[in-house]
Amino acid sequence: MDRARMGSRKVLIIGYGSPIRGDDAIGPLVADRLQADGVPAGVAVISRHILTAELVADLVEHDRVVFLDAAVEGTPGEVRCRSLAPDASAMSTMAHFLDPRELLAWCETLYGKVPETFLVTACGSAFDYSNYVLTPTAEAAVQPMLEWVRRLIDPNGCASRLSKPTDEAATHGETGSPTMII
Amino acid sequence: MSRTVVIEPVTRIEGHARITLQLGDAGEVEDAKFHLTQFRGFEKFCEGRPYREMPALTARTCGICPVSHVLASNKACDHLLSVGIPPTGEKLRRIINLAQITQSHALSFFHLSSPDLLLGWDSDPVSRNIFGVMRQNPALAKDGIRLRQIGQTIIETLGGKKIHPTWVVPGGVSEPLTQEKRDAMLALLPEGLDIAKRTYAFFKTLVPKFKDEASHFGNQPTMFLSLVSPKGHLEHYDGLLRLKDAQGRILEDMVPPHEYERLIGEAVEDFSYMKFPYYKPHGYPKGIYRVGPLARLNNIDACGTPYADVALAEFHMLQESGPIASSFHYHYARLVEIIYALEMMERLLKDPTILDARVRARARSNRYEGIGVTEAPRGILMHHYRIDDEGLITWVNLIIATGHNNLAMNQSIRQVADAYVDGNNLQEGMLNRVEAVIRCFDPCLSCASHAFGEMPLAIELKDATGRVVDTLRRG
Repeated sequence: MDRARMGSRKVLIIGYGSPIRGDDAIGPLVADRLQADGVPAGVAVISRHILTAELVADLVEHDRVVFLDAAVEGTPGEVRCRSLAPDASAMSTMAHFLDPRELLAWCETLYGKVPETFLVTACGSAFDYSNYVLTPTAEAAVQPMLEWVRRLIDPNGCASRLSKPTDEAATHGETGSPTMII
Repeated sequence: MSRTVVIEPVTRIEGHARITLQLGDAGEVEDAKFHLTQFRGFEKFCEGRPYREMPALTARTCGICPVSHVLASNKACDHLLSVGIPPTGEKLRRIINLAQITQSHALSFFHLSSPDLLLGWDSDPVSRNIFGVMRQNPALAKDGIRLRQIGQTIIETLGGKKIHPTWVVPGGVSEPLTQEKRDAMLALLPEGLDIAKRTYAFFKTLVPKFKDEASHFGNQPTMFLSLVSPKGHLEHYDGLLRLKDAQGRILEDMVPPHEYERLIGEAVEDFSYMKFPYYKPHGYPKGIYRVGPLARLNNIDACGTPYADVALAEFHMLQESGPIASSFHYHYARLVEIIYALEMMERLLKDPTILDARVRARARSNRYEGIGVTEAPRGILMHHYRIDDEGLITWVNLIIATGHNNLAMNQSIRQVADAYVDGNNLQEGMLNRVEAVIRCFDPCLSCASHAFGEMPLAIELKDATGRVVDTLRRG
């Protein structure tokens, strides 16, 4: 994506996860807080319980997409950011939940274009019942996730270093500022 | 030597299930069972909660169609309040239900079943999936995405963008419709109807190719249960119960849904967490019946909208006489219902009273027992609550649409297995047909939980001692 286009790019933020499964709610919660804080023109924010097929029609309408999700692997509270590439092999055996990489593969196969895509995750520590309430560990990860998203929607941000769709990842260190480990 | 074939998980359905085929000494099928392997326990853990929480609690039963549970639950709460819903509130509820049916049926047809229908039951399982469909017929795949998007957009326009909308409330809906929203929804419907009509026309060209499957995919005499309107028309939100037998004779008609216990009993079996509802007067298991799109179209006298009524007439031509018996034709019925839903939404949105501000009746609980019945995409959905003087839930019974079809699904896989499975020469295409007959019913097995990682399909033949004698793996 060239810089000129970045200036007028359309960005879609998708927070997803179950609102009643503890820290799994962090994706939708961060999306809600972004929405409440306000986002620049050209940036849309949505929350989803699960990722479903019709989202493909939204993805192909945007230049950059940022998925926000909880992670189960890693150190609780750790925030990671990585770029995503289409992967048809990430296909679910069921229809009620799709992997973001599968959705990108739908975009590629059906529409011949794929938005530049990032996945920002926070590792949760508890996934038992709670209604839109995070553990303190996950709550502490909200601000770093927000910082990542703000960098990803800033056309001049260093997130462009992650623009190639690889599994390169960045983590949030203990210093409080996002740190890429590429 | 007796052997067992296990198909687990059953793919391209909503939720987690397993199929076992018991083979005899000569490799013939002796028994077939469909197992629901999840236990949820919603009825039990809702006890003690205030009844007004029930719509939000029970919506979590299903991550893909919470609207159906929200409606059935609120109708049960309406009954507890003993109120009549303002007419506009009822119309708005009808619209969100029809939008739900549109997007759910679209998922079933385009995403779950089209790989079999377009690519063939015996095609390479590696490419017999949605990507295979995209390559073979990209226009169809795009139509499926767009139709789902239209249904989902209407749900979000009415219910708000939150994951589990709370717009439908006991007594009606929380907010009236604005003209801006009405116009936005109306603008979507012509495109949706165009998609539905061309998909229906395309599917009609495929149906003759599947004569063999149609004659073996749950092609069995059962009764059919559904709601119908007082005029005998297609009805998804309210209405009265009608039960027809396999010959088309009406056994029960215009039964108020609150009397469902007179018609329906529930049995349990030790091989599944899904209950086995049956028609009480015929006993268990003879009281087998089917619900859902096939039953609804078999039971009605007319749809009540122009294009859907033409399609209904063509649906009845699938068989010389009587109710359409083959479960394969659930696919056909689903497409007719999508046409109906889009036509009816347009009619309701153009109703001059749809912007009326009176959309909710308010009251406290006025009885101890409430029953709410709607037609979910997959069939009749029943919520039945009892409360105490404080309005706390003391007892719950939920009869889910897929549960009504449990006996029929078990009978159907037996029929398909008898027709296609050769235990001495197990082929993937044979087992895919066993799965595919389940997909005809589009079962929803309480799918609120996520699936993590890959779920490969492994089919093993074991002898009586548990020794694996043959294996097929997928994924």
